Amino acid sequence: MNEHSYSKYDETIYDETLENGLVVQVLPKKYFHKTYAILTVDYGSIDQTFVPTGSDEVVTVPDGVAHFLEHKMFEKIDHDAFDLFGELGADSNAFTSFTQTSYLFSTTEHIHESLDVLLDFVQQPYFSSQTVQKEKGIIGQEIKMYDDDPNWRLYFGMLGNLYPHDPMHVDIAGSVESIDKISSETLYSTYDTFYQPHNMNLFIVGNVDPAEAIECVKDNQSKKHFDEPSNPEVRFELNDPSGKDVIPFRTLEMDVTRPKVMVGVRGLEQIAAGEAGLRYRLGVELLLDILFDDTVDNYLRLYNNEIIDDSFSYNFEMQRGFHFAYFSSDTDHIERFADEIIGILESAHQQIEAAASQFDNIKRAMLGRMIALLDSPEAIANRYAGKLFGGTNLLDEITVLESIKIDDLYVIAKEFIQSQGISVYQVVPRHSN
Amino acid sequence: MDFRLTDGVELHIIKTSQFKNNQIIVNFGTPQTADNTTARSLLGDLLETSTHKYPTQTALARQLSRLYGADVGTGVARIGTMHTVRLKARFINDQYAFDGLLDRTIDLIHEMLFNPLIDNGSFDEPTFNLQKANLYSAIKSLDDDKQYYAATKLRQLYFDKNSVMQIPSFGRLDDLESLTAEKLVEVYHNMVSHDKINIVVLGDVDENHVIDQFKQFEFAPRHFDNDKLMYRQEPKDEAVNEEETQALNQSKLNLAYELPVCFLDKDHYAAVVMNGILGGSPLSKLFVNVREKESLAYYASSQYHSFSGMLSIQTGIQNVNYDRARTLIKEQIDDIIAGKFSDELMREVKEGLVNQYKTSLDTAGNIVERKLTDSLLHQEPDDVVEKVNQVTSADVVRVASKLKLQAVYYLNGDLKNE
Repeated sequence: MNEHSYSKYDETIYDETLENGLVVQVLPKKYFHKTYAILTVDYGSIDQTFVPTGSDEVVTVPDGVAHFLEHKMFEKIDHDAFDLFGELGADSNAFTSFTQTSYLFSTTEHIHESLDVLLDFVQQPYFSSQTVQKEKGIIGQEIKMYDDDPNWRLYFGMLGNLYPHDPMHVDIAGSVESIDKISSETLYSTYDTFYQPHNMNLFIVGNVDPAEAIECVKDNQSKKHFDEPSNPEVRFELNDPSGKDVIPFRTLEMDVTRPKVMVGVRGLEQIAAGEAGLRYRLGVELLLDILFDDTVDNYLRLYNNEIIDDSFSYNFEMQRGFHFAYFSSDTDHIERFADEIIGILESAHQQIEAAASQFDNIKRAMLGRMIALLDSPEAIANRYAGKLFGGTNLLDEITVLESIKIDDLYVIAKEFIQSQGISVYQVVPRHSN
Repeated sequence: MDFRLTDGVELHIIKTSQFKNNQIIVNFGTPQTADNTTARSLLGDLLETSTHKYPTQTALARQLSRLYGADVGTGVARIGTMHTVRLKARFINDQYAFDGLLDRTIDLIHEMLFNPLIDNGSFDEPTFNLQKANLYSAIKSLDDDKQYYAATKLRQLYFDKNSVMQIPSFGRLDDLESLTAEKLVEVYHNMVSHDKINIVVLGDVDENHVIDQFKQFEFAPRHFDNDKLMYRQEPKDEAVNEEETQALNQSKLNLAYELPVCFLDKDHYAAVVMNGILGGSPLSKLFVNVREKESLAYYASSQYHSFSGMLSIQTGIQNVNYDRARTLIKEQIDDIIAGKFSDELMREVKEGLVNQYKTSLDTAGNIVERKLTDSLLHQEPDDVVEKVNQVTSADVVRVASKLKLQAVYYLNGDLKNE
């Protein structure tokens, strides 16, 4: 068990890589009542073309398999994992992203038993054609619920513009048609390929003794048989790394009360993984703040001209193999919104110079908001991105952030903002004929 | 520690070293009326936008960034029949920033509450007009969230026509039009001088120092005698139904029942447990039967509203399954009334509620909200664990028998796919 102490923030993280490759990390919170644990598989919706374990042929599984697996892991031959957590009084849940699948619980009692339930239900699959069929109705309703959500449509519309021929343009849950093609065989073969201990990590935060918690996980793992580990061979290549396939503009008509517009920026440079990747992510986040946050003059001008309102938001997402930023608002001036945002992005160098006096405050605010997250076990554990950022955690992020200087932003802006990667998507009220 | 700053103005300090953040909430409460709701909602927006010292939102935002990204803003909410405007602040402890961050945050709160951008009897006109337009857009676009839309329609069907419960805490479009920058000054003075004020401070703070800081706020004594926060209405003999059709992929079915048990009643915790069994968790009868067994829905849940004596059920389905969903929902309630639920489910739901309660003690915002509610109701904090554990199956049956269907709202999504 390794110990990493962050005395400035009175926190210590313990970690250990078990014999079977499972990475376990524990951050004890002695004044807290609950314990939160999240088991993450390095596998998500875009990992759909791969060589299944024990085979040498590349397969492509239907859209939505990762999310379908997440749903089906809970159901076993004679029980449901929700019930096992329920018997222990624990809350449990799961979620799937483009590149990760996570299973979690939160509890104030029976922590070790809950850890066993978590590890057991994720490590012992049971799928049958009957239960797979039944799940199609539930997930079908989940997909339709999101189809009626204009903000979700705006977001996936933008991904369709930025990555028109890559799997990111498809809803994580897939479509009603694609999930219909999923069988229990698909699930088993995908499961065997990706759900291997060395492709997972377990992060525990809360009222626990780290040595005992790690011992409990070791105990659990030592009683199980795992197949000879193999490295999942994912065939993921961007259709066009130069970004020439980016669709510059599309519009969707929907029953909305006000138009919504989003500007997207696809990063076209390859970013190194590990701590360098984390540094890049934090740098872009600072860059976006210095261009658009509510302390800079751009914001006030756009706000007072009613080009944006309080619905304005922006975000940067960096996952395994791709990264992009987006800016959106409800507005009656959708063309002007796009022109203004793109204008600011394309003159980023001058904009940074103009707002340079705000840099220290913007960084200080971001630092404060990150320190604030240390009160949230969920935020600490969910933010951990495993291999992507070289095993760094929220406390390491704080250290990296402190080292970023305004000069770094000029370099990052030049790398990240390229006209080829910029796109606009709109959701506008439907015209009745 | 509880401290009375003056008549009708209370300060509560919860000293704890559990968190790296501190929280402050300043709650202004008054009985909700048809007239005051929208005005107070807009007033809240104006107070968080600018002040004399920070005359633009940029100036105010810059001050917040100097305070290490403190969140300080206003919001509105309803606690039973009381309309509340609250200013909330979250900011990191001095030890992670600099000595005096707490004091400077309290200074900012004072500035926002006592030095708003009012000149010559009027809020700054351009700021007023913009915030009014923004509130209009924000209220209007809520209709785009169909789950929210269906819940709002259900409330309108359930509550009596002239009841203030018809009006959401953030106000109504129709009432916005007549508001002026001068009228809002009157609303402001009324709120600051006459509302019941409860301040809650949580964090690793020196209690006497915090008291001294708030003693400097110019709160006038006020008299507040309306302590009846619980809403009551006569139940309808027959349920009212409304159906609407929109071009949507998914239909929304929402039902409202009268559940005449309020927050302060002896049966309150029995109602909480009953709701847990009916539709409050993934173990519940609605989740298991409507979603897991018949795969009709992704979500199927119930909610107990303890300040208005209402229980609501919501689910998203395909319109061809409407009748089946209605039947299943009715069966789940009938089953509970007939005592058809296992001891195991009963135990699991109770353990889940206890876990939820203990877990909520790890979120500073929840602790502060709970303290605020307790102080508005003049009650000592409940021993939630004990009260939940005391609930018996017979209690659940008795409470469920009181459910009376009052309203059904159905949003028929008739968009055809392929």
